[in-house]
Parts: sequence; structure tokens; C-alpha cells
Amino acid sequence: MNAQQGDRITGVLGILVSASYVAYARRIEDGLLADEVGAAGVPSAVGLLMMLASVALLLKASSRSAGRVGEVAPENTAWASHRLALYLLGVLAAYVLVLPVAGYWVSVALLIGAVSALVGARDVKVIAACSVLGASGLYALFSLLLNIRMPAGLWPSWMGA
Amino acid sequence: MDVFFNAVLSVPTLWLLVAAFAGVIWGILGGALPGISPSIAMALLLPFTVGMAPATAIVLLASVYVGAEYGGSIPAILIRTPGTNSASATVLDGYEMARQGKAGEALGISLISGLYGGLFGLAVLVLATESLARIALAFTPAAYFSLGILGLSVIAGLSGGSLLRGVIAACIGLMLAFVGSDPVSGVPRFTFESADLLGGIKPILIMVGLFAVTEMLVQIGEPAWAKAVKSEARLKLPNWAMSKRLAKPQAIGAVIGTVEGVTPGAGGTIAAFMAYSEAKRWSKNPEEFGKGSPEGVAAPEAANNVVTATALVPLLSLGIPGSNSAAILLGGFLIHGLQPGPMLFQKAPEIVWSLYGGLFFANIAMLLIGLVILSPCIWLVNRPKPYLMAIILALVMTGVYAMHQSIFEIGMVLAIGVLGYGMRLLKIPVLPLVLGLVLGSLVESNYRRSLLISSGEHSIFFTDPVSLVLLLLAAVLTLYTGWKEFSDRKAAS
Repeated sequence: MNAQQGDRITGVLGILVSASYVAYARRIEDGLLADEVGAAGVPSAVGLLMMLASVALLLKASSRSAGRVGEVAPENTAWASHRLALYLLGVLAAYVLVLPVAGYWVSVALLIGAVSALVGARDVKVIAACSVLGASGLYALFSLLLNIRMPAGLWPSWMGA
Repeated sequence: MDVFFNAVLSVPTLWLLVAAFAGVIWGILGGALPGISPSIAMALLLPFTVGMAPATAIVLLASVYVGAEYGGSIPAILIRTPGTNSASATVLDGYEMARQGKAGEALGISLISGLYGGLFGLAVLVLATESLARIALAFTPAAYFSLGILGLSVIAGLSGGSLLRGVIAACIGLMLAFVGSDPVSGVPRFTFESADLLGGIKPILIMVGLFAVTEMLVQIGEPAWAKAVKSEARLKLPNWAMSKRLAKPQAIGAVIGTVEGVTPGAGGTIAAFMAYSEAKRWSKNPEEFGKGSPEGVAAPEAANNVVTATALVPLLSLGIPGSNSAAILLGGFLIHGLQPGPMLFQKAPEIVWSLYGGLFFANIAMLLIGLVILSPCIWLVNRPKPYLMAIILALVMTGVYAMHQSIFEIGMVLAIGVLGYGMRLLKIPVLPLVLGLVLGSLVESNYRRSLLISSGEHSIFFTDPVSLVLLLLAAVLTLYTGWKEFSDRKAAS
């Protein structure tokens, strides 16, 4: 993506976000303790400022395209990276879903294993060892040393506790 | 000089030295773990101080604060994850240096700048508490609003050459800061009827998402991290030439940290960002900032470590806790039947001297402990990429959950990570977003409070002398940055 395309996309997204934001702000109803500015006053002003900056960025991109040809976009090899990022996001989202069910230790061990494999680790024994040691170390640090209660998951109910 | 002698003579009891070292170790551990803020690290120890002698308890808590503020810079430099809010300005150049195989040098600069900042702040605390307390008292809501505007005026310097993108990023930060209950009327705003959002979004969640999660999403598609060459895989303290180069940014950080520290509510994060921006402005090599500049590490680190001492000025002299950490320290005083304020110097001067002396030894402890632990930390981040990435993500996810035991917040951090990924693709700078986020609440609440006081008259911002000076300073900084960028571009073309 060249700078001109980036400016255009940023400008359009900025206008859409700021317009939605201002529309949402206008719907905020003030309570009995409201002041002159109101709960929506400052957010609306910020939304309008963002809209102005986005429009200016869009105009800047347009004037540049009228004047001279922008940089040539590099060959699009970035999709492979985006796909990997998406997979990683999927693994992290799965962690969020699994955590309340499987509990902390199991979930974080699975997370370490899955991320290691996704990033390129191939030795199953090392992955397993890293998962077990990593999960145990973090559990010891946060739960035992810092005394922070981590999710137990459904294990207690499954085991009839 | 009497105060110095009193402070030094009061400390060397074994338990105070133990408290200083133990507090710093605990603080560095807490500060380095994402999710454990300095105030949480202090709060975790608070119950254990009940049975201690008052001086030992206060020194222990203050040392945790010193250690935690420093500890936040270690993951900021090594894994692009600020352990504390105030370490987020260190990420930019510290992590870039680490990527270039200079992690040892970046950590050395951070350690020495932190020590310099801590000792400078302590000297200010000891010598000028009384006079600086008057500055804190002079801050009206109008002055706080103008302080926020002064903070926002550095956006141009943090925008990476595109002011419009910087403004858009700052607006996103402000928008995120407005989520939650309205500061005046209490009505919910932008919460989408979710109870989890009523209290707003904690800045550290956004910083962890923007820096750590985004970096992992980017790194997964890139080749292995640049590993430090053997000679650089150890902590490297600045040599004489480098120390001379760092003197100016450290001095800038010290001055800004002093002013921000004595102002209740301003805090180390704003100080660090302003110091970064001003160090860039006055640097002979401003083009290096954002690409691994040692000055870009020194200025924010000096600033946020000065704040660890100067933030105690309003607490000790007026009894006003200017931050969460100062509030926990206030709790430590109250537990032992001590009331910070002007009478503390009359009723329990030995506690004040012990605190001063304890802070001195806490800074020395920070140096010694840093010398021991930082090389192993560099060794850790030179492990194979798949396992290191997995452990970093597990640590970040665990740290986020540990803050409030909320799975919702983990989801929010992931969403912020996606936002950061999009911003990186579109080359929108993240630092203005962080600045907007940190300053949003300060600016809005004090703007509205000022108008309530003045019955809607905006002239209050110009009739209040402190406010006027700050607004003029903001205008000068903005015009200077604009003029400099314009002249640089003209020279380049």
C-alpha cells in the first residue's frame, strides 16, 4: 500500500468512524446533574475534529493524485503475513472461550503449545515441555506468589467438588 | 545540608536497608509483569506492613514504588510491552534498539537514566518540598485543563511527520478515554449498555493491546528477531561519550518530571511523553527518534523516575495523594497512625528522614539489582522465536486477566491489538493515541469544572495566571513545531 492509498483509506475510515461517533454522542441523554456542556459536548467536539482531519487527509490524497503519480505499490506479498496474524488472533480468541471452561492451567498450556506450533516449532516433545513448564511457572507466579485467583474452569463441578 | 545528614544518619538500621532492597525487588517484579501496576504491587504488600515499625513500612512501600516504575521499562524495551503506563514512551526507541541487537545498551541507558532521575527527584523532594507544594496549591481546574492542553500540544512532535494522522490518532485516544460514566453527571457514555464498560477502559489495557498484542500479530509474519551479538547480549552501561550525549535529554526529563510530579494527578505518563517530545525537539539528531535513539530512552526514563520522588511532594507537605501509588502510601502512613501533611514534619520528623534515606538506598538498590538481573533478561529474549512468542503471549494474557479477573478485558485487549494492527498498516502513529487516552479525562473533567465555577465564562482559562502561562507555552510549542517541520520540509525539497 502506498502513502496515497493509505491516506485515502484512513480518510474514509476516519469520516465513517467520526460520523458514527458524533451520531452516537447526540443520543446521549443528560441526567439531572447535567452541566452546560453536557455529557455529549466534548465527545461531539472531538468527533468533529476527527472528521475535519479525515476530510483534510482525503483532500490531500486527492490533490496528490491529481498532481503526480504516487509511489508504485510493492508486490503484494503481505497477505501471507496477514493470514498468519489472523490465525494467531483465532488462537487467542479460542483461549478466551476455553478459559472459563478448561480453567487457567490447561488453557494457558494449550495457548503456549498452539502459538509455538503456529510460529514454527515442530518438535512435539519440546512443545509439550514448554507448555507444561510455562503454564506451571505462570501459575506459580500469579496464583501462588501474587495470590491472584485464576479461573478454575468447570473442573470442580466435573469432579463433584 | 542538615536534612541530608538527618536522612543519611536515620537509615542505616538493618531493617530499613532490608526494606529498601526487598521493596525494590518486589517492585521490579511487579512493574515488569504486565497487569501488575506499581499501585497493585504496593497494595499487595500493604497488609504485611501492619506489624512493622512505621519507618520500615513506609520505606518498604516507597521502595516498591521506585522499583515498579523502573521495572516497567524492562519489558517495554525487550518485548515491546510496557509494564506500567509511564513506560509506554520508552517502548518506541527502547524496543527499536533491542531489535537492532542493542538491548543491553538500551537497558543500560534506562537503568542509569532511571538512577539519575530517582536521585534528582529525591534531591528536589528533600530540598524543595515546601516551596514546590505551593505550585500544587496554585493548580485550579482551569490550570489542570491547560496542563492537559500543553500535554496535547506535543502531538505534532509525536506524529512521525504527518500531523493529520497524528490528530486522527489523538482523537481515537480521546474517544476511548470518554468511554464510561460521565465525570460530571454520571450518565453512561459509549458503553453499549455493557456493565463492564461503565468504569471506563483502563489505559494500561489499551497500551498492552496496542504495543504487545499488535507486535505479536506483526511479528508472526516476519523472520526471526534480530538476536544480539555475543558482546551485546549483556547489559552495557553508557560510556563517557554516550553519557555526555545523554546529559541533555536526562536534564529535560528531570525538569519536566519535577513539574509533573508535584502536580497531583499529572503523573509519570504525561511527564514521560512530554520529556520524549522535548528531547526530540532539542536534539541534534531528531531524525533518529523512533528508530532507536538512545536519547529517546534516556528522556522518558529520567522523567518517570523523577516522578517517583516528586509525586511525594504534595503527599508529604499537603496530605494530597496525587496518584494511585501515593494513595497506597498514604494508606501505609494512616495504618501506623501517621497523617501526612504539614504537621508530619513537626510530629514525626524521624519518619520523614527515614523515608528520604530509604528512597536514596532504594535507588542504589535499583542500580545493583539491575546490574544483576538485566543480562539474564536479555538472555531470555534471545530464546527461539516460537517458544518466546508463546510465553510472551501467555504472560500478557495472564497479566491482563490478573488486573481485575475479567475475561471481558482479555477480549478488549485483543480488539485493541487488532486496532493497533490496522493503524500500523495505515501508518497511523500510536503515540498520539496514547497521549489522547491519558489526557482525555483530565482535559474534559477540568474544562467542565472550570465552566461550572465561572458560570460558563471561557475567560477563566485566561484570567487564571497559571492557566494562561500553560496555554501560552502550549501555543509556543505548537507554533515552533509547525515552523520547524515546515522549514525542514522546505530544506528537504
